[in-house]
Amino acid sequence: MCLGIPGKIQSIRDDAGLVMGVIDFGGVQRDVCLQYVADEVQVGDYVIVHVGFAITRVDEDEARRTFEVLKEMSQLDELEWMAEAAEQGMRGLEKPA
Amino acid sequence: MSAKANPASLSCPVPIEDADRVQLGHGSGGKLSAQLVARHFLPHFDNAALAQLGDASIVSVTAGEVAISTDSFVVQPLEFPGGNIGSLAVHGTLNDVAMMGARAVCLTAGFVLEEGLSVAVLDRVIAEMARASRDAGVPIVAGDTKVVERGKADGLYINTTGLGVVDPNFRPAPARAVPGDVVLVSGPIARHGMAIMAAREGLSFQSAITSDTAHLAPLVDALRASGADVHVLRDPTRGGVASALNEIAAASTVGIEIDEPVLPVPGDVRAACEMLGLDPLYVANEGVMVVFVPAEQAELALRALRAHPLGAESVRIGRVVAAHPRIVALRTALGGTRVVDLLPGDQLPRIC
Amino acid sequence: MKYLSEYRDADIAKRLIGRIKTRATRCWTLMEVCGGQTHTIVRQGLDELLEGSVEMIHGPGCPVCVTPLEQIDKALLIAAKPNVIFTSFGDMLRVPGSDCDLQQVRARGGSVKVVYSPLDALALAQKHPDKEVVFFAVGFETTAPANAMAVFRARQLGVQNFSVLVSHVTVPPAITAILEAPDNRVQGFLAAGHVCAVMGYTEYEPIAAKYKVPIIVTGFEPVDILEGISLAVNQLEERRHEVENQYVRSVRRSGTEPARALVQQVFELANRQWRGIGEIPMSGLRLRDEFAAYDAERKFGVGGLKVTEPAACRAGDVLTGRIKPPQCAAFGTLCTPERPLGAPMVSTEGACSAYYNLAKYRTADPAGAAP
Repeated sequence: MCLGIPGKIQSIRDDAGLVMGVIDFGGVQRDVCLQYVADEVQVGDYVIVHVGFAITRVDEDEARRTFEVLKEMSQLDELEWMAEAAEQGMRGLEKPA
Repeated sequence: MSAKANPASLSCPVPIEDADRVQLGHGSGGKLSAQLVARHFLPHFDNAALAQLGDASIVSVTAGEVAISTDSFVVQPLEFPGGNIGSLAVHGTLNDVAMMGARAVCLTAGFVLEEGLSVAVLDRVIAEMARASRDAGVPIVAGDTKVVERGKADGLYINTTGLGVVDPNFRPAPARAVPGDVVLVSGPIARHGMAIMAAREGLSFQSAITSDTAHLAPLVDALRASGADVHVLRDPTRGGVASALNEIAAASTVGIEIDEPVLPVPGDVRAACEMLGLDPLYVANEGVMVVFVPAEQAELALRALRAHPLGAESVRIGRVVAAHPRIVALRTALGGTRVVDLLPGDQLPRIC
Repeated sequence: MKYLSEYRDADIAKRLIGRIKTRATRCWTLMEVCGGQTHTIVRQGLDELLEGSVEMIHGPGCPVCVTPLEQIDKALLIAAKPNVIFTSFGDMLRVPGSDCDLQQVRARGGSVKVVYSPLDALALAQKHPDKEVVFFAVGFETTAPANAMAVFRARQLGVQNFSVLVSHVTVPPAITAILEAPDNRVQGFLAAGHVCAVMGYTEYEPIAAKYKVPIIVTGFEPVDILEGISLAVNQLEERRHEVENQYVRSVRRSGTEPARALVQQVFELANRQWRGIGEIPMSGLRLRDEFAAYDAERKFGVGGLKVTEPAACRAGDVLTGRIKPPQCAAFGTLCTPERPLGAPMVSTEGACSAYYNLAKYRTADPAGAAP
């Protein structure tokens, strides 16, 4: 459920007691209610938006950290795979001889 | 002669001229109708055939087969970034003629106006329409205007019919796709539909997305000149690329495979689709076409397309296969497969 | 788009698939309880790519799919009233009620509008003070704060021509109900990242402990989902059963507290029917009495409506993983995407609809004899 996409806060304002803001989603802007995250966000932060409401702040440090882990894993797997392939290749070379 | 200028001619009830709004009298066939045509239509659609104002217009065509296409335009909003219903009505019908490989000769236009329509809007629509027709070099040679009571229409509807001369040496058709063909698309997709969506009440968002509405015949001519054996041409309007490919797969009894990672969707269009939960493959286009050519001619066709500004971003998106006839399958970036079926109705924004 | 496109990286996703396949010593059965995750799984063909190592059961995680027939019929009754503008998220428009859907109500003269946000519905009410604007407030915990705010704002601004037809459900009771079923096959869960973004995930900790199932709080992009599956498979292989958070960039253990607080203020827990599944105790939300003036059921007197669901539809068995869609007698005969009987056949990512399309693809006759 719950289509929610990340967007960057462009501006924050008070709309008759409700914290609203303009969020940019990769070149598309929309008015979004920021009331629920108002205490922890500022312009430039990323939030997850669902049906016009920011429901949580994207923790950019955490995002960077976990993505690095994923990237490393992917590269590590690649190294392992290359090592394995190299080993097999060597064996392959030894065999015919 | 206006009522104001000659009070002596007043009879009751007299139609009071309102310069701002279309009135029922504008469709009565009387003075107001004549004025509407003379002041608002004719100055823009200036051509010899139309100027006769006969019951029908006479045009000359060369001997041989003709292609005829008709389409009705009911878009809301009437004006959108990148065009309005007028340019759309010209491009839409001319593109349908062009997709048959035919060269358009003339257009007709029928208008249904809603009582109360802003005359300023009507003027802008007519001006755009005339500009599109002039740019395409295809005159609007016959027309008709009716006015319906307020509430019986949504501002303004336009029907256009296009007539073209068939080129016996260039006959693309939806039934001509064969396994071994590649599928090309002539530009970024889903722009028109999202430009319209941006302006809808309740869904509105701000963006620089503009409709791609454009006349495709010059691109078709570029393909023609390249000498490529074009099997199918189709402009994926309503229902988007997905629906057009499904129609072709059905008409040719072939399977079609497309590759998700290479689909040309502009960043902001993709973002708008993400936000509303829409699939760009089903979003309407008004200025791109899908092209089927034998694989060995793919580069030839792409070169021809890319040489024209409208086709600068042409890419290969898939291929025709003998397997799974009538079904369009999409290969995802991860190597998974999904069926791209016709939708039962309009695509609706979703929350989940 | 930042924080979206990188989690679609095909290289990383393929590595994760490789990891899961290497790690799994048998085929594990997992369930995602989230329509958004189902959407990604079906659209990216992740099921197919994990075949033999993981079977994904698409659980009752789509608010559209689980909205009970009764509430749909109430919506249809209200939408057909002459002075009403009925507003809804787009996905609800095609969900079949007993005798039609919202699109057909519109065709018969009802005013039905699609909105992106409940605040758009409230704005519509302010713009049309002579009309009654009703919003179909469906959803899980993710959507509840938005719907709560629309009601709260309506009261704050004194907008009296606005009301909501509530059909809110919550995830943990559904997971518990699935685990309590005697023939349950589910060995681990992916919990919906955005539900947990609001609620946090402490509620899931006792469930994981009691039923000894891994529960992974998971995001929505292919890399997120594959990482979530990978974490679940690791736990299963190591006989662990914990709540783990894959979606750390957006989910904190305690969730978004101000959102929960307003939901608490506007709604209260209630028993709720789930389409195809039946009543699950304390699995839904209803408006508190102090907001009764905004309750469309009371305003339009439809609260008493009782409806029985078509017996032929086995949506509940599909959503709980007891059967696969083709095992339902109505599948592909009485029930097709063109004429859906139950909600999982409605959206292209519904479990039944997805199976229907895939079956068509796999059985397509290259000789061209297929209809």
